[in-house]
Amino acid sequence: MLTPPPLVETRGLSFSYGKRPILHDVNLHVPPASIYGFLGPNGAGKSTTLRILLGLLPAPAGSVQLFGHDLAQHRLPLLGRVGALIEMPSLYDHLNGFENVEATRRLRGLPRHRTAEVLTLVGLSADAHRPVRAYSLGMRQRLGLALALLPDPDLLILDEPTNGLDPQGITEMRALLLRLQQEHGKTILLSSHLISEIERMATHVGVIQQGRLAFQGTVRELQRQQSGRAQVVIETDDAERCRNLLPLEFGAARVLATGTLALPYQSPEQMAYLAQELVSAGQPLYSLRCEQPSLEQTFLHLTEATAL
Amino acid sequence: MSTVVLSPSPSFQTPAPATQLRRALSADVLRLKRTPALWLTLASGAFPVALTFLIFYFKGEYLLKPGQDPWPTYLMQSWQTACALLLPLFVVLLTGLVLNVENKAVAWKHVYAQPVGRGAVFGSKLLVLMGLNALAMLAYTVILLGSGLLLGLLRPSLHFQDHAVPLLATVTLLWHTYIATLGILAIQYVASLWWRSFATPVALGMGATIAALTLMRWEHIDWVPYATPLLALQKAASVPKGHALDLALAKAEWLTLGWFGLVLLGGYVLLRYRHEG
Repeated sequence: MLTPPPLVETRGLSFSYGKRPILHDVNLHVPPASIYGFLGPNGAGKSTTLRILLGLLPAPAGSVQLFGHDLAQHRLPLLGRVGALIEMPSLYDHLNGFENVEATRRLRGLPRHRTAEVLTLVGLSADAHRPVRAYSLGMRQRLGLALALLPDPDLLILDEPTNGLDPQGITEMRALLLRLQQEHGKTILLSSHLISEIERMATHVGVIQQGRLAFQGTVRELQRQQSGRAQVVIETDDAERCRNLLPLEFGAARVLATGTLALPYQSPEQMAYLAQELVSAGQPLYSLRCEQPSLEQTFLHLTEATAL
Repeated sequence: MSTVVLSPSPSFQTPAPATQLRRALSADVLRLKRTPALWLTLASGAFPVALTFLIFYFKGEYLLKPGQDPWPTYLMQSWQTACALLLPLFVVLLTGLVLNVENKAVAWKHVYAQPVGRGAVFGSKLLVLMGLNALAMLAYTVILLGSGLLLGLLRPSLHFQDHAVPLLATVTLLWHTYIATLGILAIQYVASLWWRSFATPVALGMGATIAALTLMRWEHIDWVPYATPLLALQKAASVPKGHALDLALAKAEWLTLGWFGLVLLGGYVLLRYRHEG
């Protein structure tokens, strides 16, 4: 099967502020119609990367391609197909919601009817004529998203779009983004420092750590990575004693608590063998289970492993 | 399967510079709605006029000789108050307030991520500032002439009603005064863009205005743009009786235009390549 060419592609992208290196050899690959979760701890280089993709920071010619075209050469026409929300939305408090959208609509030279359309899309039609200074944080974030959606963009770039939102706001934002991708075929590149925020909607994930991509692939590939890190957890009376009873090849067993022992998972046979050994040695076996690490733990593992 | 078009679509064209400028200007005008900048523009002219109006209303007889045309004295007295201190401060404040609309909303990253070039954004805000500056001076002139007519009605003994409104002279003075503010406007504009704050450029502008007023007797004062409005007024006041003030620019006015061009060019180059990090 032919792989569709990526909508966003960076090739060996490096960037420094003065002498301080921020990004090093980042090769981003965002497939069309995906929701690409760009993850990393604060300060890892997420915002810098997204700002480069929007032409806010300069990138060397040839290093950033949007829609298959070089950003440095075709910045304005490419930006015409991109909608973006960078951190807190830029809103004019002295204007109402409608006027805020209208200012960006005029700047982009878009048809008049788009203003009302995007306000409906983000559910702000009823509040459109209230001053923005009276908006809640969630409403401000949705208005920021309305600004990003104005040009009906093929690509949405959202930097920490759920920052400062309450759980309900996060759920609403997630539902809206999923709808945009599934019903309207949009490609969404969004950053976050919390994997839990995006794992339920992202199709692809990129993990950045100290300016380098530590992982890039589908969510399934990320899950596959973690299957090698599953562990067997044993609940018994005396974990220390059980550990000494086990053959040497289980030497990696760790005592988690007085009655809890954990060791790397190998196979179903290993589980059966462990049960048999411990029972025959007269140890009580309250529980024996295989635990998959959460995506959260995998993410932490990835970001820790490269943080050297 | 994905329907994303990767080949250049019909919209894959950079909008013409004039189109970009028109769009940016249209957005900028909308953003002025309900801003202090707009109120300052429309209302600030009323203050110096009110002062002069009250002086003439109560003490006009002492300021005018019998049978004299009151208009030139009235206009020059008000223009003096307005030009010396108020006009430079007005330009400083206006520039700060207009740019503060963007600075306060932390909107530069948003504006620069739109398909509009930085040149269009730069040019549009400059045109807004120049337009508001012109509007403010026009509003001031209209209020000033209107107040003179009102004095003719309320205090006929001052004889405003017996003499024609000196429209041509006023327009000529307006022309010189407007040109004289352009150097300040450019410096304050670039400073506000650079610092992205309200306080710093306004404080600098106030300091520069006061310094310029203190240095009025300096032989090189022509080179100081913050002094140009007052210099232009002094030149107008020094025109001998019977002669009309012409449109030709004085040295200080040319120099201020030079500042205007130079500062804008330098400012544009600096801001064109500024990192929006």
